[in-house]
Amino acid sequence: MDSTYDSIPIDDVSLQLDAEISTLQSQISALKTQRSIQTSTILTSRSTRATLARLRSSQKPKSQPPSTSTSTLPNDTDPLLTTTKTHLQHKQENLYRACGTITTFRVRDPDPYAVDKGNVLGIRIDVSSNGKFMRPYYVLLNKPFAGSEGNLLRVHRHTVPPCIPLAVLAENYLPTGKGATGISTNGGKKAPGTKTQDIRKFVRALRREVVGYHNRISVIKGLRREFRLDEKENRKGKGREKVISDISAADAEARQVRIEWVDGRIGRFTVDEGGSVVKAVVMGEQGRDREVERVLVGEMGGVGERLREVIY
Amino acid sequence: MSAISVPTTSALRSSELISSSHPAVVKILNKLSRPSLLSLALDWLDERNQDNTAPYLAEEGNEDEDEQDLYPPASSLAELREIYTDIQARKGSKRDVLDRIIEGDWRDGITLYQLAMADMQYLYDHPSSQKWTALKVVRLASEGEQPSKSKSIPRFHPATFLRNLQKEGLPDVKAHYNLDRHPTLPLLLLRIFIVESPYNTSLALSSKQATTFDASKTFYVAFPDDSPFIYVSLNTATGQPVSRSDNKSLRRLTLEGIPKAFSRPRERYKLESTSLSARNLDALVELRGGGRTNAAGGGWSIYAEEKKNGGDNPLEVQLPTPESDIDELQEDMPKGLKRRRKDDDRVVKRRKMVAKGRFGNTALPGDGKGIERLDIRIDDVFPSASAEPAEDDYPLADELDFDLGVTKKKQSGRRSTITLELDKHDDEDNSGEEWRPDIRLAFMGHHVFAGFRQLVEAGVIDGEKMPGWMTGEEGVSVGVVRDGRIKGDKGSGM
Repeated sequence: MDSTYDSIPIDDVSLQLDAEISTLQSQISALKTQRSIQTSTILTSRSTRATLARLRSSQKPKSQPPSTSTSTLPNDTDPLLTTTKTHLQHKQENLYRACGTITTFRVRDPDPYAVDKGNVLGIRIDVSSNGKFMRPYYVLLNKPFAGSEGNLLRVHRHTVPPCIPLAVLAENYLPTGKGATGISTNGGKKAPGTKTQDIRKFVRALRREVVGYHNRISVIKGLRREFRLDEKENRKGKGREKVISDISAADAEARQVRIEWVDGRIGRFTVDEGGSVVKAVVMGEQGRDREVERVLVGEMGGVGERLREVIY
Repeated sequence: MSAISVPTTSALRSSELISSSHPAVVKILNKLSRPSLLSLALDWLDERNQDNTAPYLAEEGNEDEDEQDLYPPASSLAELREIYTDIQARKGSKRDVLDRIIEGDWRDGITLYQLAMADMQYLYDHPSSQKWTALKVVRLASEGEQPSKSKSIPRFHPATFLRNLQKEGLPDVKAHYNLDRHPTLPLLLLRIFIVESPYNTSLALSSKQATTFDASKTFYVAFPDDSPFIYVSLNTATGQPVSRSDNKSLRRLTLEGIPKAFSRPRERYKLESTSLSARNLDALVELRGGGRTNAAGGGWSIYAEEKKNGGDNPLEVQLPTPESDIDELQEDMPKGLKRRRKDDDRVVKRRKMVAKGRFGNTALPGDGKGIERLDIRIDDVFPSASAEPAEDDYPLADELDFDLGVTKKKQSGRRSTITLELDKHDDEDNSGEEWRPDIRLAFMGHHVFAGFRQLVEAGVIDGEKMPGWMTGEEGVSVGVVRDGRIKGDKGSGM
């Protein structure tokens, strides 16, 4: 016990040093990220590319005669050119991801026993919500069947949460049972009794579900913000008094939304795929409140505004 | 307490009292540690719980106090709370607290609610005390009906669910239901405590029926948020051979009641096995929860996890850099590696890379998401000339004495349910003439896949030739392996 007591002043100094070191380290890492951001910005900027192109064209005639002075030059510019190329590729990929939102890539299954020599097709769905891109969703497909069904795709792995009905979509658009045919086998003609896989429709439907889900969640979040449900209670009576006590999703898919009023009324509305409120029930002590029910039905995005009109 | 007891179908009330001297009460409370017991008592003294957990207080005006009373009744809740906070600060034995609770402040009896709270507390204190089996709630589609797009997850409304579940119960069996939110995981835990009596009054709990009062009549069902799965606890209580068949049928009835309680008119559900059972709720939530990790186990988990500083973002201008924490990893090398000191550095680094590639960031010894048992039946054709690479690994592993406690045994300690599960695929396509030997492997340890990972990192298992089921990417604890893949796998999450 004594020794620890003695070492307290030293600990103090060391603590200070530790704090200093950690701040310095965080500074270093921040600067490093900044450097790499600057690098890629500079490398992918239009003027840099123009300069590089000029450099290249000016070197070309020179490099033809095998002289000693020019052999060192490519060594200088080559790494620069290759990094520029990778940066440009990355930028282009980002552009596709941000604007097209559905991108594909190839993966190799590390499992040595994987089907189809481990070839896996990856689909990445980027969704943005509230001005930010969410973590992308991934669906990884492989071709597990042999013979005539060799073209059939099947969902191998995915990172889609269970509240999005991936299995149903896969069943509809990527059927793998008897009579199912791949995309390329019959060139779009549909033979009777067969089901054709259509990855394009599958991905579009999946993206629609995912985006719809996030939109519903963000509308609910917006409603909570609008009625100040997440703020602290005592704000010195600023603004209007609280009328709604809770708004939350009632099921996993956020298709049903529950509203609770301060006066004890309870409401619930359901949202369809297109994001409009189709049904609404509001129950108070005196039975149903049909006026509010009527107001709720409509576009989900405008629920807050319409509610506000009724309340205030 | 009513004067007449009539057989009914309703549930037991939470405020029903059980005599404090009842052996079951003492047993359940005695399982808890002293701090848990004290915090529980303080919970019982909370204003909000007074309906169901009121202590014995001295009545005003009633002065004839018993001089012999070891624990004189307190006059108010606040006073009692103070007493228990005092005890909390002091050191002492558990026995004192237990006696005070049973003989002093709750001398009238412990309510069923209190008992449930105590049991829950024990579950939180000992997370691995129950073995959970994950089941999937699947919608029953009538013939010719297209599976509807919505409602892939049945809506779970606790009150409605309980009411429906109760309707499925037998009239001569009464149950007490208690719902509780798991403190850390996104789970709702339901404790079902069954009493064999047609009455729902104190008569059901009278001491005559003491024999029916044991832990084997307690079931747990966990409902993960936003997920089509439920977890049911298998009965692990041992030493009640008398009523085993009885309990089994009770358990079966409860299990059968669950999908019916989920169902609504024109919306029927059933339960399906998901070949996963484990003691660890964290692992279950990871593999059968409401998040993204359900169908991206093992190495595929890199797609599901959050990247550092928002790396996987289309607005990120920096090039994705491969993670370079290999150097940090190198320091905590497993101790079992004595040979080949010289060429280690590169080899070890490579093995770590391979393990990282195969396992991703899962199956780390300290992540608390281990399953403790993996049962595999190898269903491959007997190799005629050359041995298969997968089989090469096992003898090597047996020689090594590993501190992880992963034991590999063949044909040992199988339980009937697992055998059943493994034999299920037996009758399918066995038409081939080749001889397929019946090889069963059971891997046990507190984190089986972390064990595999360490073996890969130690070079015992060749990480590149290792079949995928050893990385845990299938997310099952029971499976039949054919051609190196878990058979009957219809694609993940399908």
